[in-house]
Amino acid sequence: MDHWQYLIVLGACLAITLPLEIFRPGVYRQAWRAAHAVLPVAAAFVLWDEIAIAARIWHYNPAYVTGVNIPFHMPVEEVVFFLVIPLCALLTYNAVSAILRMVKRR
Amino acid sequence: MTGLGYTIPAVVSVLAVGALELMLLRTGLFRRPAYWLSMVIVIGFQILTDGWLTKLSAPIVIYDNRQTSGIRFPFDIPIEDFLFGFALVTAVLLLWERQRERQ
Repeated sequence: MDHWQYLIVLGACLAITLPLEIFRPGVYRQAWRAAHAVLPVAAAFVLWDEIAIAARIWHYNPAYVTGVNIPFHMPVEEVVFFLVIPLCALLTYNAVSAILRMVKRR
Repeated sequence: MTGLGYTIPAVVSVLAVGALELMLLRTGLFRRPAYWLSMVIVIGFQILTDGWLTKLSAPIVIYDNRQTSGIRFPFDIPIEDFLFGFALVTAVLLLWERQRERQ
């Protein structure tokens, strides 16, 4: 079970932010726009991460990751991180923007 | 503790994202209260998740202490992580906003 820990943390982040999609216009409902915001940034950060791992600036505890890596030495969890955290941020921004609009309209 | 490996790239990433907005994209994101309010919320949740990922008692991510400032706060979070997170999230929101203008 411990090997799933990193993925479980990321799954919890997705689950907690999912209800924020009720606010309009939504993030998942604009999947194309979300992909164009998330993917280029994720690519840049994956590159940074790869360099940092290669330079041994940080590494991942083998006890808490699945052991599935993408080239070169990056746990697949880290790739998921760069998709999940930006989605959580977009959902937060979407919700805060919607709430501020509602407050203003009063 | 050279600070080269993580601290400097983390600072540079924040400067790069700032420059991206101010010199290239000019979305006006930094003038939106929704952005700053969102960042406060994001940082709040970052402390919870990142605190879990970096706790020294059972870390998921392990840093070479010679490559960081050595300042870990709150919990055991290297402060560089907040710059890293700020750059990551802000860059995504900038690209999201840029597409609003195109719509």
